[in-house]
Amino acid sequence: MYKITKEGRKYLKEDFPEIKLIKKEGKKIKDLKDEIDNFDIAMQWAKKNGWIKIENGKIKIKKKPEKYKLSDSLKKIQEDKKIDKKNLEILKKRNLLKKIRDDIEKRAKKFVGKKITNLDPSLLKTGLWRKTKFKKYKIEARGKKIYPGKIQPYQKFILKVRRKLLELGFKEMSGPLVELEFWNFDALFQPQNHPARDWTDTYSLKNPKHGKLPEKKIVRAVRKSHEDNWKYGWSRKKAKRLVPRAHDTAITPRYLAKNIEVPGKYFSLVRCYRPDIMDAQHLIEFNQLGGFVIGENMNLKKLLGLLKTFAKEFGKPEKIKFFPDYYPFTEPSVQISIKDKKMGWVELAGAGIFREELTKPLGIDEPVIAWGIGLDRLAMSALEIDDIRKLFSQDLSWLRKSEVL
Amino acid sequence: MPTIDFSLEDLRNLLGKKIDLKELKDRGILFAKGEIEEEKDGKLKVDVKDTNRPDLWSVEGIARELRGHYGIKTGLPKFKIKKSDLVVKVDKKVEKVRPKTVCAVVKNLNLDEKSLKQIIQLQEKVCQTFGRNRDTAAIGIYDYDKIEGPIKYTTFKPENLKFKPLGFKEEMTLEQIIKKHPKGKEYGYLLENHKEYPIFIDKEKNVLSMPPIINSEYTGKVDEKTKNVFIEVSGHKINTISIALNVIVLALRERGGEICSVDINYEKEKITTPDFSPNYEKMNLEKCKKILGLELSKKEIKDLLKKSRCEGKIKGNKIKVKYPAYRKDIMNERDLIEEVGISYGYEKIDPEKIKFQTRGEEKEIEKFENKMRELCIGFELQEILTFTLTSKKNLLEKMRAKDKKIIEISNPVSKNWSVFRNSLLPNMLEFLSKNKHVQYPQKIFEIGKIAKINKQKETRTEDLTNLSIMITDNEVGYENIVSILDSVMENLGIKYSLKKSKNKNFIESRTAKIFIKGKKIGKLGEIYPEVLENFNLEKPVVALEINLDKLLKLSS
Repeated sequence: MYKITKEGRKYLKEDFPEIKLIKKEGKKIKDLKDEIDNFDIAMQWAKKNGWIKIENGKIKIKKKPEKYKLSDSLKKIQEDKKIDKKNLEILKKRNLLKKIRDDIEKRAKKFVGKKITNLDPSLLKTGLWRKTKFKKYKIEARGKKIYPGKIQPYQKFILKVRRKLLELGFKEMSGPLVELEFWNFDALFQPQNHPARDWTDTYSLKNPKHGKLPEKKIVRAVRKSHEDNWKYGWSRKKAKRLVPRAHDTAITPRYLAKNIEVPGKYFSLVRCYRPDIMDAQHLIEFNQLGGFVIGENMNLKKLLGLLKTFAKEFGKPEKIKFFPDYYPFTEPSVQISIKDKKMGWVELAGAGIFREELTKPLGIDEPVIAWGIGLDRLAMSALEIDDIRKLFSQDLSWLRKSEVL
Repeated sequence: MPTIDFSLEDLRNLLGKKIDLKELKDRGILFAKGEIEEEKDGKLKVDVKDTNRPDLWSVEGIARELRGHYGIKTGLPKFKIKKSDLVVKVDKKVEKVRPKTVCAVVKNLNLDEKSLKQIIQLQEKVCQTFGRNRDTAAIGIYDYDKIEGPIKYTTFKPENLKFKPLGFKEEMTLEQIIKKHPKGKEYGYLLENHKEYPIFIDKEKNVLSMPPIINSEYTGKVDEKTKNVFIEVSGHKINTISIALNVIVLALRERGGEICSVDINYEKEKITTPDFSPNYEKMNLEKCKKILGLELSKKEIKDLLKKSRCEGKIKGNKIKVKYPAYRKDIMNERDLIEEVGISYGYEKIDPEKIKFQTRGEEKEIEKFENKMRELCIGFELQEILTFTLTSKKNLLEKMRAKDKKIIEISNPVSKNWSVFRNSLLPNMLEFLSKNKHVQYPQKIFEIGKIAKINKQKETRTEDLTNLSIMITDNEVGYENIVSILDSVMENLGIKYSLKKSKNKNFIESRTAKIFIKGKKIGKLGEIYPEVLENFNLEKPVVALEINLDKLLKLSS
């Protein structure tokens, strides 16, 4: 079978271009070029058929045809009638007809006169879709649910926070998940008998148990700072113990001890561990965000300035408030709370100026501001959840449904 | 951080000022580093944040501090100490167990139910937090009028002495108290491995107490009718127990008591306690201004210190500061600088913007993670986040893995989170097992840390960033996961090869190791049916896991 091409359908509708041409007797050729589509084809066939001649650049009719064979043949094809071979060849040559493979024709013909569900490719290839009807669909019906690939909501929040800190000029720090007590506590001036170092507050490891202390110079200075100020016998063995990192601040002394730029702004956003019973407010494993700023004579006034910047960047506070606070490694220490429309007063961050007993042994002589932001609480507010466990949701339906932040 | 309960009315009476709740909440309580957690019908719950200031863990202490800041009474608290004729003799034998004690007598008390409750609350907080659960300091309070001096602080063999412990009607031996009395069970470990136990006993052979475990029913019971009390604090260091004694004695004084001293005769020395002589620390005035960022005159600094119950004498650019004997937190001038700042009031400080500009810098691995995340989203994978801690059962048994050396926690809260994962696969399979009722196909990925033992490293461990992808459906096979890997590699422009593997997580001949430039970076395949059964899964799962640190190195 043959399918009428797009061009062929146009001719059926508007007539062949050579027919259009002979209706324009006496007109100038250069004007007609724009008026008639496929003008060259029209001229070629009108001449070939012996219908026209050209005089003084104008069309002159020699003979006007009563009927046009090609036009009739094309109509017959449309009506599924047979035509003679000669005209068939011409129509094919003129790209008005296209031969259809038998198997496709066979397949398409099965649908003719029927109500179809799917638009079979054979119907398009043969053009026979014109002889079918589409089954009516209930357009209100929803299709099968599909789910796009998505970033985990809490992860998405973390990426946003990280982006913000980079914009504020902070460099990211990293450190090991399993940490020496030396960096986790001793270098932060936490005495070895401090209750925070009890097994109830910090995990310890069964295997491996001990790591390797850093270079002697630092160890000696840290030991002296503890013995002079806390007045007890400092134990190397205790400092060598390994713990799952208990807080993000453990990374800071590693950086202070060697590779920092002054002035500089640093942050870390890392997983930490604490032996809590898991419930709606507590996780055994959580992310902490913190860091430090050094240079330009840091002081309490600038510390408050930094916290105010954080408040504006990480929330839409109606009011902010500073409270005196206590952290073992900073003095003075301060907490900032913000008043949020939805949540009311929320604790946003804790901060302070590192004690000299901490910075001096690490070779730092100028004041260093240390800060930490309550990342989980911010995330819970942003994601509008009230159970902290949902940050690590194991519920695929919830993850699929979660809004794109 | 200690949380204490008291009533607003009680605070007002002690303070001598009708402070309203709003003022207390917004300003007053901040001077004591406190925060009002709850308020109901005039009853307050307050968090006192400073774990080094036991003097603030009572309403009496808070009132004393606030009197300074509201100008009611400034400078060092002053009071008289009378002499009692009570003597405590310390036997040499206690040296091995609990060597030190300091004591005091407070007379003419007029306690009511409320104030008695406050004193008991303070005693508990001090013993718990400051005294490390009675180890470094344990406090005993007794009815002074039932005691015949001198008191002896000595030791007895556990089976050789009997007395009626507080709350009990029968006499018990020391041994029985440790085994049967609730306090004995709770604190008995503090006397473990000692052949004799410490005892306070008076002239009439009446036992006062067995520190740090329990008082006697006879002398150790204090109630509203008690007029005069004897207080002892026992522990290991005079400095530490003196602070605890001073804190309690001063609180009782706030309730109208008269402080009387006690002579304590150690084998080699005699001391008289309580000792309220102030301590000294110098502060550089320039440094104070520099750290606070405030322009303050010498007089202003001096006055601000007075408000926090200290007194200073200026000499040149330094100030010599006298601070009260109940404060243990002042280590050097930085602590005094904070006092000046708190007295000034943080709310009055105008925050100053940090001016210097720096360029933010991300870790390379973070950037790379984001690139991978983008690809995974393109594969219609849902990202999940799980814990880096898991159970031995998930990590080894369920995965059919050998009992390799893994990083294990010695004091886990739960077995479910007691080892560090060395692969992302177990957590992801567990995730799928919790979502069996959810529409399939399920396509998930996780980018996260795993940790392994590495003896070369200073922490004997190393953590790595891995990517894992998992797909499960009624029909899913090796080709599905290979085509994802192939696409990932094509997008990174990396050539890779697959080699035979005998990983027991996967079906043999349907799993491979992934190599780049001769280095193994991961694995993939169809999860072994028994592993699926172990995780209670009923549809096939294909998975891949690659190490992003290595991939990043090899791709750049």
